[in-house]
Amino acid sequence: MKFTTRDQLKAWLDGLAAEMDLVAPRGVDGHVFYRPVASGDEVLFDYERPELSAKAFVFPDTEVFLRVEQRGKDVTVEEVRTERKQVIFGVRPCDAHGLAVIDALFLNQEPADAQYQHHRERTVLVGLACPRMWEGCFCTSMGGAPDDATHLDVLLREVEGGYAVEAVSEKGKALVKGLKTKQKAGDPPAPQTNADAVPVVDTATWRTLFNDKLWQRHGERCLSCRICTYVCPTCRCFDVVDRVVDTQPGLTRIERIRVWDACTSTNYRRAAGGHNSRPTKPGRIRNRFYCKFCYYPEDFGPLGCVGCGRCVVSCPVDIDITEIMRDVAAKGGQE
Amino acid sequence: MSDYEALTQQIREQARQLLSEGRVDCVIGYEVGPRGVTRPAFIYDAADVDRLVWNASCVHNLVTYLHDKKKPQRRGEEPPRVAVVVKPCDSRTINVLLAERQIARERIFAIGMACEGTVGADGEPLARCTRCGDRVPVVYDVLLGEPPNVSPPQDDYPDLARIEAMPPAERLAFWLGEFDRCIRCYACRQVCPGCYCTTCMFERDDGLWVDIGIEVSGKHIFHLGRALHLAGRCVECDECERVCPMGLPLSLLNRRLVREVDATFHYHAGREETLAPILFEFGGSK
Repeated sequence: MKFTTRDQLKAWLDGLAAEMDLVAPRGVDGHVFYRPVASGDEVLFDYERPELSAKAFVFPDTEVFLRVEQRGKDVTVEEVRTERKQVIFGVRPCDAHGLAVIDALFLNQEPADAQYQHHRERTVLVGLACPRMWEGCFCTSMGGAPDDATHLDVLLREVEGGYAVEAVSEKGKALVKGLKTKQKAGDPPAPQTNADAVPVVDTATWRTLFNDKLWQRHGERCLSCRICTYVCPTCRCFDVVDRVVDTQPGLTRIERIRVWDACTSTNYRRAAGGHNSRPTKPGRIRNRFYCKFCYYPEDFGPLGCVGCGRCVVSCPVDIDITEIMRDVAAKGGQE
Repeated sequence: MSDYEALTQQIREQARQLLSEGRVDCVIGYEVGPRGVTRPAFIYDAADVDRLVWNASCVHNLVTYLHDKKKPQRRGEEPPRVAVVVKPCDSRTINVLLAERQIARERIFAIGMACEGTVGADGEPLARCTRCGDRVPVVYDVLLGEPPNVSPPQDDYPDLARIEAMPPAERLAFWLGEFDRCIRCYACRQVCPGCYCTTCMFERDDGLWVDIGIEVSGKHIFHLGRALHLAGRCVECDECERVCPMGLPLSLLNRRLVREVDATFHYHAGREETLAPILFEFGGSK
């Protein structure tokens, strides 16, 4: 295996930070988030699962993508876009998997989402394998693994005294050219995995349970907040609004922004005229899970869940996606 | 120490009676999910009452769910009658909603719990419980448990003193740092029994002052605005702070206003059933 030390990684990251946007796990007021960092010293190497996924760096929670300026009769429209390269360091394999899920809609459907495509192309994902699965994690049930290299450009695995380096993609190979490594005998240790698998049933089975009582039972305690969708590495709904940022006589400046949206929120389905076609909590919760396990795979291919477990541990009223998957499997098996 | 097992049995028996006698359509209480996490439960059938539990992790303020029960389930029917398990803090929100004409007293059956305080996920008593002097709900139809004999703690707002000792620039920096972590998930608003506007002014499509951007400016205004909208209405159930996934110390904002309303008007939201909303008092429509 190719081997490097933490100090060598830090020196490499210092170099990257000087040239491009570097994002990495960082401690923030007792929390751990992927955040922009200016040097290798700011990077957290020992962490569990950052509390928010990495999606915000290719699909920002708020993004200005158009600036419009009107001066008298002259109107100019400017696309907003950064040309800087970006490295996301310390990505957990589930978060990379989450981006592959979003790709199925935003990249692989015509037309590709221009903003997202641009961020994806400018970004290199350097993963750090989880030594074990954390509370709520079930990536191994969703086709992933704590050390899954599939959706990463580079995968690092912690070994005695440092890290094993695996360049997965061409982008990854180019990036690690600057990293000092040496050949070392041995293999990285296999991560600890959870024993109990969560059952995943086919979309046809899901379709038999649309009117089942379980949606009432799980949905009624929902608060209609947005935590589960905002911590999720695959949720990708958004809203677009124009906002006036400056008005003077003869001059108006407008920004067009896109902002995350959430199907769990009360007004997500509100249409012009005020009609809301999904007015109840059970109906919205049902849609959230049908999106992940029925509609998204049928329409775009992959399942809409990677088993990161964030929604499981962060829901204030214990709406637990694994419990729902188990209920669906149990009920579907009875048909 | 509370005898949780005995109280669990009493809640189940109470729920069984209410449902089998047709006195309520639904009992809102607590259950324990498969992960061992205590959570809200809605019971419609006497056969299901054994799902109900009472333990030290019954932290949720279930009164917030009464907003979902204000309308008839079907057109032409009466709205449902609902029994709800309440701790002292939760019961104060019943009074607030009664005073604001949001719920009808005769449609609510409050199963009051004598309370020794609750604990968080870490097993430690919640801050709201360590400073709470109430052991018996202020409104209930039946009281379960023996009121524990403890002297109420003196709450002289040490948490606020720490913030107020900061010079203004430092205080602003502190709050902007906190608001920066906010993800605008609105969990604080959604869990709050006092936040029941049909369309929140901070989420309007045509918002004049605050757009939907998840940016610190909007988050700043949202949190300060929400706190002000709850001035004289917040009962310090502290659910907003408990549910915040980013750990924002929202109780500091609410308690700053609670202290202000207390000092200026000697008014404590939800303490009495007959208390009119303080803004009505200003209008002279007592």
